[in-house]
Amino acid sequence: MTTLEQTEAVPAARTAELKRRRRPAILSDWWRYLVGLLAIAFAVFPILYVISAAFNPVDSLSGSGLIPEDVTLDNFRAILSGSPGGEGTSEAALDIPYKNWYVNMIVVSGATALLSVFFGVLAAYAFARFRFKGRRMGMLGLLLIQMFPTFLAVVAIYLIVLRVGDVFPAVGLDTRTGLILVYLGGVLGVNTWLMKGFLDSIPDSLDESARVDGATPGQVFWAVILPLAAPVLAVVGLISYIFSINEFIVASVLLDSTDKFTMTVGLYGFINDKYAQQWGTFCAGVILAAIPVVILFFFLQRFFTEGVTGAVKG
Amino acid sequence: MGFGIKIVLLAILNALVLWAMGVLIADDKWIAALIVLAVTALIDYVYLYPSRRLVPLKYLVPGIVFLVAFVVIPIISNANIAFTNWSTGHNLTQDEAIVAIQEVSLVAPADGKAYTATPATKDGELVLLLVDDVTGDLYVGSESGLEPIPPETATVEVGTITAAEGYEVLQGSQLAGIDTQLAALVVPAGEDSFIRAEGLSIAIELQPTLVYDAEADTFTNIETGTVFTDNGDGSYESATGEVIEPGWRTHVGFENFSTVLTNPLYRDPFVRVFVWTFAYAAISVFLAFALGLFLAIVLNKPTLKLRRIQRALLVLPFAIPAFLCVLVWQGLLNDEFGVVNQSFGLSIPWLFDPTWAKVSCILVNVWLGFPYFFLVNTAALQAIPAELQEAARVDGASSLQVFRRVTLPLLLVVTAPLLIASFAFNFNAFNNIFFLTGGGPYGVEQSLAGSTDILISYTYKLAFSAGQGAQYGLAAAVSIFIFVIVAGMSAFSFWRTKSLETVR
Repeated sequence: MTTLEQTEAVPAARTAELKRRRRPAILSDWWRYLVGLLAIAFAVFPILYVISAAFNPVDSLSGSGLIPEDVTLDNFRAILSGSPGGEGTSEAALDIPYKNWYVNMIVVSGATALLSVFFGVLAAYAFARFRFKGRRMGMLGLLLIQMFPTFLAVVAIYLIVLRVGDVFPAVGLDTRTGLILVYLGGVLGVNTWLMKGFLDSIPDSLDESARVDGATPGQVFWAVILPLAAPVLAVVGLISYIFSINEFIVASVLLDSTDKFTMTVGLYGFINDKYAQQWGTFCAGVILAAIPVVILFFFLQRFFTEGVTGAVKG
Repeated sequence: MGFGIKIVLLAILNALVLWAMGVLIADDKWIAALIVLAVTALIDYVYLYPSRRLVPLKYLVPGIVFLVAFVVIPIISNANIAFTNWSTGHNLTQDEAIVAIQEVSLVAPADGKAYTATPATKDGELVLLLVDDVTGDLYVGSESGLEPIPPETATVEVGTITAAEGYEVLQGSQLAGIDTQLAALVVPAGEDSFIRAEGLSIAIELQPTLVYDAEADTFTNIETGTVFTDNGDGSYESATGEVIEPGWRTHVGFENFSTVLTNPLYRDPFVRVFVWTFAYAAISVFLAFALGLFLAIVLNKPTLKLRRIQRALLVLPFAIPAFLCVLVWQGLLNDEFGVVNQSFGLSIPWLFDPTWAKVSCILVNVWLGFPYFFLVNTAALQAIPAELQEAARVDGASSLQVFRRVTLPLLLVVTAPLLIASFAFNFNAFNNIFFLTGGGPYGVEQSLAGSTDILISYTYKLAFSAGQGAQYGLAAAVSIFIFVIVAGMSAFSFWRTKSLETVR
């Protein structure tokens, strides 16, 4: 890869020659554009197709092409109506509380992300900044725990929540609170591990100077560490948010009534029942469900890509 | 100010705990109540006792509490379940099973008594007010037994008790919905004799055909004389191998593990699923990495136009929640109406042929994964010092040689841990299989495992599929196999990358 900086010291004649060679760059790079275009087509066509089906007046899968003949919002109205089968049809009894699923998705994933980041950064701070007895053991334990995918223990989780629910129905089966608590445990280990790695990279001298000025460990945490770690907190929060949005096994086992479902459990049931007939309605539901995450993703993309690629560069 | 918030939070926590203790104690859960109390006392101590040594704990306690409660305890409990026979038919404790067996074996003897019954309550407890159809004697039957009622305290109309002192006769809407409670009310009436309501106004005498002998811990069938003894596997079994339902849950040692490894009924699907899980994860990661790397090399030229837009579009599959994408792919790959077959004029049974279904699973997984490796490889390529490649070129290496001997090795050094992590992730990519093919299509054999099932979806079906009953013990054992494999890979990765050194 020849960069411009390297050519600066080169004699004028050489530069001129390079310029001559570079001028038809767009032409000589045509195959790169072609590859890029094909890759984009591969990446984007399912998404374009979903958008087109969502606005297509033909609801069924068989009638949906890539380019709709007409544009309508009927599918969005149908999925938000709560009974997309429509009145008077044999499907009138079909109960699709999509709006509940949406709220559940935001509440469960949002609470999981916020709480797990908060508790995680507290623990990460202790591991990164304090030297105490049992620290090494604690870190090893954490390393082990965060390797264990919680949903592997779904049988045990189910039985535990069942028993807890016998005494405290508010956190038992079929409650959002119970699900949030289980998710919280599930992502906390990984979150702590990730954030500890980042806090290690913040120079000690920063909090040292604050401590010299008389700050307590609490003040160092709130006024020095947290502001510096904010982007990482956001990324880790987004990772936890995406994890809990996608989670199906635990949610499907713990939740029982249709209006308590998360989006994952709800849409899975919907598509399994009706996907050929109500494809457009389903696609409208998919788009609405994807919007918050996509916005968050591109909003945080700079940090996110840094987080992903940071592992490579570090 | 910070101190004030701390006190308020602690006060809320303590109030909650006090309430919870009350509930637990009212429920006779003394051990649980004591544990809750001890943990809370410890939390209060950590936050209120002024000591420098406790400062780290202040930051660790919330995390520890949640990790222990929702990860450590489930893991231990899961391991425990793996050594039991817990499954449909073995759900109860032994004591519960003994009662259940007796109740299941109840039959009406030929000369059994019949009663006219009136459901009533005494102090909230459901009882039966009974009139013997032959003698006209009055009784009250409860869970604790049968007692006579003095005739002067009860009103009898047309052979039925309509009122009795000390009892509240259930009427009208009170009777709605108590049939299950009534059916569960078995009144002991002397030696091996029970009374149970049949409907709302009749009760009959029943006798168990299976009689429990508490001293010998055996059941005897009083009609045939067959003796059933505890077979050690959570069931009563006769000498001829006849087993009484239901059984109870009990520890069975390594039986679940040996079942998975030796019983052909489970071993064959397990081996098949195991091989496919490895192939699926490895091929997916390899192809996604190769595609991502190829695109990164081709598109990572600074002179290319529109790189930002290109990148944003390529990363799009990464930004949308994966489960939505997989559900959409299920529609795209539909053999009759799916846009893939229709656009390209194909008629490939993407999801209904065992081989094509495997191809589809990998295709969708590559689609989901290549943007990640595109990002990673782009960053890694930019991090490789250009001088190294330049030097190789000066030494006369061809572009291909430079790539194979210089770029790729350097790239793999930094991306290897991510490849292993991605492999471990795909090893358990439940949604990507379950939402696309549901693990199917299924072969002719009577197995829960379809041709695209991976270990985690197979486990899920073992535990929660309605078809063959829930097999919690077996599922827990398979999940331990999965954990050992995943932990082994992670340990290998950590060992290779020396991440453990960060555990200073």
